[in-house]
Amino acid sequence: MKVLLMGHPNVGKSVFFNRLTGANVTESNYPGTTVDFTKGYMKIGGEDAELIDVPGTFSLDPKDKAEEVAVAMLHENKDVKVICVIDASKIERGVYLALEILEEGYPMVIALNMWDAAVDKNIRIDINNLQRILGVPVVPTVAISGEGIKELISRLKEAKPVEIEDIIKNAGGLT
Amino acid sequence: MKLTIDQRWDLIDKIAKQTITFGEYRHTLKDANGELTIKPFTGIPIAIAVMYAFWSIFGSFAGFFTDGFFVRLFDAYWLPWLQEVFPGQGGWLYAIMVDAGGIEGGEFVLSDNCLESFGVLTSGLFVAIGVVLPAIVIFYLMLALLEDIGYMPRLAVLIDTMLHKIGLHGYAIVPTILSLGCNVPGVTATRILETKKQRFIMMTLLAIFIPCGAQIGIMQDVIPGLMGWILLYLIIGYFIFGYILNKIVPGKAPEFLIDVPPYRRPMLSNIGKKVWGRIAGFFKVAIPFVLLGAAIVGVLYQLGVIRFLGDALAPVFVGWFGVPKETAGPLIAAFLRKDLAVAQLSVIEMTEYQMITAVVLVSIYFPCVATFAMMLKEGWKELLGAMAVLTVVVFAYGGLIHLIGILLGVA
Repeated sequence: MKVLLMGHPNVGKSVFFNRLTGANVTESNYPGTTVDFTKGYMKIGGEDAELIDVPGTFSLDPKDKAEEVAVAMLHENKDVKVICVIDASKIERGVYLALEILEEGYPMVIALNMWDAAVDKNIRIDINNLQRILGVPVVPTVAISGEGIKELISRLKEAKPVEIEDIIKNAGGLT
Repeated sequence: MKLTIDQRWDLIDKIAKQTITFGEYRHTLKDANGELTIKPFTGIPIAIAVMYAFWSIFGSFAGFFTDGFFVRLFDAYWLPWLQEVFPGQGGWLYAIMVDAGGIEGGEFVLSDNCLESFGVLTSGLFVAIGVVLPAIVIFYLMLALLEDIGYMPRLAVLIDTMLHKIGLHGYAIVPTILSLGCNVPGVTATRILETKKQRFIMMTLLAIFIPCGAQIGIMQDVIPGLMGWILLYLIIGYFIFGYILNKIVPGKAPEFLIDVPPYRRPMLSNIGKKVWGRIAGFFKVAIPFVLLGAAIVGVLYQLGVIRFLGDALAPVFVGWFGVPKETAGPLIAAFLRKDLAVAQLSVIEMTEYQMITAVVLVSIYFPCVATFAMMLKEGWKELLGAMAVLTVVVFAYGGLIHLIGILLGVA
């Protein structure tokens, strides 16, 4: 199995990557820390899996060379499952990227990362409803302390491609 | 099915309405701090204070370990001991590995410190471990702190207007600051810039004008009084040639959008990991290069190549740049390591202004081999372009610095 970490810059992808693979890629608190991809290995339910960390990207329409690396990795690996990392306090634009990836037919789980910060900001998110609408597993996480990571990985097996039409239907149709 | 951008946002709107509720948000102390450091009126003085603190902690920490400990260890114990036990005093191997010595009154005499000895095991090890190691430890410790707290993006916003003048934007501060540690990650970090033009300007400027941590560390130790002038010349060059490049390189220099992250408490484990990673890399890559550089220069001295080059290029060195022809040796070392080159320059007899010029030349004339390799990886066309700019800059700026010296009556 191949798993790709996608998400906006500075949402914690590299923190996930280091935690899951025991690797040592640089983690910092500024967008653009990761500018190249790194592969690492881990076990998921006894099975070997390859995990790929890529630079953050706002959309699948790259605006700089680092984003190009991310989009190219997604397109070169048609058989990956995507962990889409979203900043829980900035869900809307994170979902934009998630939708783009889902439209291309990739199976996905969503990590709502920095969940603690969203709670501090009094942002409430109805996880169950979000899962129902999107049709993919959604897991609140705090990558830096490891909260939610186990659940995130265990739910990778539920990740499957979803039809955008279904998402539209679940959301109550477009305007 | 693919959605249009409008449909996608429409859908997100629907989803958000059903799943997210925003409660009341109270302004916290952290937010207040965040704003104070980004609004120009308060942010710029704070940025200056932060940079000054960075600088003085760097200087005092590195100085404490180098002067207080390593200089004594190397000059009083290591050097005399090696001079004693290494066989073949006066021979070529001895000269390369331990001490090239000097001739005084027609007699061979040994050097009395590790900078003058020029040996692989003396000068080479002293520069790498005694001078540069403490400098990079403290540099990366403080850099990791700034990175993890979340200060870098704020600095980027503050310096944005200034960097637009040279075709870049605020976020170019990230490759610039990373380059102050080592130009290699600086080159890779240019990928966060949007256009080819910006990447080219950034890569060229940092390869020419940004001295790495190792070089700053050695300057701090061997020519502390002149370092200010050298850095000033480099910063002025960065802006002058950035301004010119912006005018002549075709392409766009767009505005940047950036998420300024909230301040976060740095995690000790992460800081430790990053600093340790740097030090490990230094031992694996830098130290072998320093030793190799010392060996190559030693061999070339023994073979007379450096004297030959110095004599052949004397008109350029003396006439155009106004530096002694002995500068040829360090310039060869600078291909491999700039820190070693500065160490070798520091023991050559010359005036202060010649020293300033020579060190500026060592900085700008060619990136070290590791940076060169990384630039090649990012694209050979850009590399060729950068080399062309570099050649022009070396002669134009080197000559200009000489001219300024002549006008000031110091050269």
